[in-house]
Amino acid sequence: MPTIANLGDLAHVHLMLNHFPTIGTVLGLGLFLLSFVRKNDHLTKVSLEVFFIIGLATLPVFLSGVAAQAALKDSPGVSAEAIATHENAALLAFILIEITAAVAWLGLWQIRRLARPTRTNLATLLVLSVVTLAVMAWASNLGGDIRHPEILTGLYSTPTEGTAASGGGWLSTAAITSFVLEHPWVWPTSETLHFLGMSLMFGVLLIVNLRLLGMLKTMPFAAVHRLLPFGILGFAINFVTGMLFFIAAPEQYTENVSFHWKMILLELAGVNFLFLTVFDGAWSLAPGDEPSLADKIIAASALCLSVGVMYFGRMLPFIGNAF
Amino acid sequence: MNILSSLEGSSFSMWLLGSNSIWAYPTVLTLHTFGMMVLVGASAMLDLRLLGFGRGIPLDSLKTLFRVMWAAFYLNAVTGTMLFAADATKRGTSVIFLVKLLLVVSGVVTIVLIKREVYGKNPAPVTVSSTAKRLAIASLLVWSAAISTGRLLAYVT
Repeated sequence: MPTIANLGDLAHVHLMLNHFPTIGTVLGLGLFLLSFVRKNDHLTKVSLEVFFIIGLATLPVFLSGVAAQAALKDSPGVSAEAIATHENAALLAFILIEITAAVAWLGLWQIRRLARPTRTNLATLLVLSVVTLAVMAWASNLGGDIRHPEILTGLYSTPTEGTAASGGGWLSTAAITSFVLEHPWVWPTSETLHFLGMSLMFGVLLIVNLRLLGMLKTMPFAAVHRLLPFGILGFAINFVTGMLFFIAAPEQYTENVSFHWKMILLELAGVNFLFLTVFDGAWSLAPGDEPSLADKIIAASALCLSVGVMYFGRMLPFIGNAF
Repeated sequence: MNILSSLEGSSFSMWLLGSNSIWAYPTVLTLHTFGMMVLVGASAMLDLRLLGFGRGIPLDSLKTLFRVMWAAFYLNAVTGTMLFAADATKRGTSVIFLVKLLLVVSGVVTIVLIKREVYGKNPAPVTVSSTAKRLAIASLLVWSAAISTGRLLAYVT
C-alpha cells in the first residue's frame, strides 16, 4: 500500500494545523459567551458544535506533533528539553480539549431531548473551555520556543543535548510510556478494552444507521437517538486506550500507512456522528417514515467509515509495522 | 493430538499462516473481528433496550437484529474454524481457548433464550419481563468475557 506521509510531511502537517486548537477554542468560547449575552439558543448550539469540531481537529495536531518530534529531534539547534516541555503541555491541553468536546457533545444531545442543554452542562463547559484555552495558549507558546530563535532568549541551555527530558510529573508522555511498557498487563488489558469499546460503539452506529437506511423502520429516530451516549462511551474507552498505545510506542504508528488511513477515516466518522446528533432530517423520522436519499447516503457512509476504521486498525501489524 | 497436528499440517493451514498475501491470515482475522463487532454490538443494543435504555424503541422493531446476529455468527464460525485449523496444536490444547469456546456457546444460548422469552409470542410484548432483564445482563457479561479471553489468546504462548 503506498505511503501517504513520511515524518517530514507530518511535521509539515503539524505546522499547518497547530494554530487551529487555540484559535478554534477562542472562537468557540467567544460564540459561547455571546450566546449568553444575546440569550440566543441557536448560537449556543453553534458554539457547542465548534467545540466538538475543535476536539476532532486537535487529534491530528497531537499525533502529527509526535511525528514532528521524531523528525526534528536530531536537528542541530533544536533543544530536546524544549520539545519535551511543549509535548507535556500539549498533552494536558489535548486531554482538556477532548473532555471539553465530549461535554459539548453531551450538550448537543441534551438539546435534542430537552430543547436546551442543562445548566450543569453549560456551567461545566464554561469552566472547561476557559481552562482549556489557557492551557492551549501556554502549550502553543512553548511550541513556538522550539523553532523560533527570534523569540528564544536562552530559555533552554543545552540545545541538541540528551534525549527527551524525563521530568513532567505523572501526566507526561514519558510517565505514560513507562507505565504502559513496564507493566506487562497494561497492553493486553488496553487491547481488550479497545475491542469492547469498539463493539459497543459499532452496535450504536449499526442500529442508528440501519434505521436511517430504512431498515428497522418501525423505530422512531428520536428513540434510538437516546442510545447515542453509549457510542460516545465506547469511543471514550477507545480514545484513552488508543492514546496509551500511541504514546507508549509512537514509532509503530507515526510512519504506518494503515494508521494514517485509520485516522483519516476516524475524523470523517466523527463529522458523521455530529450529523447524526444534530441534524433535523433524521430527527423527525417517525415510525414507518422512509428516510430521504441524503440520510441514506450519510448512513451508508457512517457504516463504511466505521468498518474502515476497524479494518485499518486490525491491519496495523500487516500493512504497517505495529504489533 | 494426531488430528490436531494433521489439521495444522494441512495445505490449507500452511497457506493461511505461511502466505505473505494480505488475503490469507490478515483478511481472515479481520473478518473474524468484523463478525465479532457486529454480533456483540447488535446483541449489546438489544440487551440495553431490554434493560430500559431507549425505552421508546418498540421491541418489535429490533427483531431484524437477530438476522444480523446470525449472519455475523456464521461468518465467525467459518473464519474461527479457519484460524483454529492454522494453529490447531496450540489452540486445541489451550485452556483459555476452551474457556473462550464455552463463553461463545453461552453467549449464543443467551441470545436464543432472549429470542424465546421476548419474541416467543406474537406480537412481542410491550413490557420487559424480569427474566428477560436477567438474560440481558448475562448476555452482556458473557460476551464481554468471550472478547476478553479471545484477546488474551494473542498474548499467551
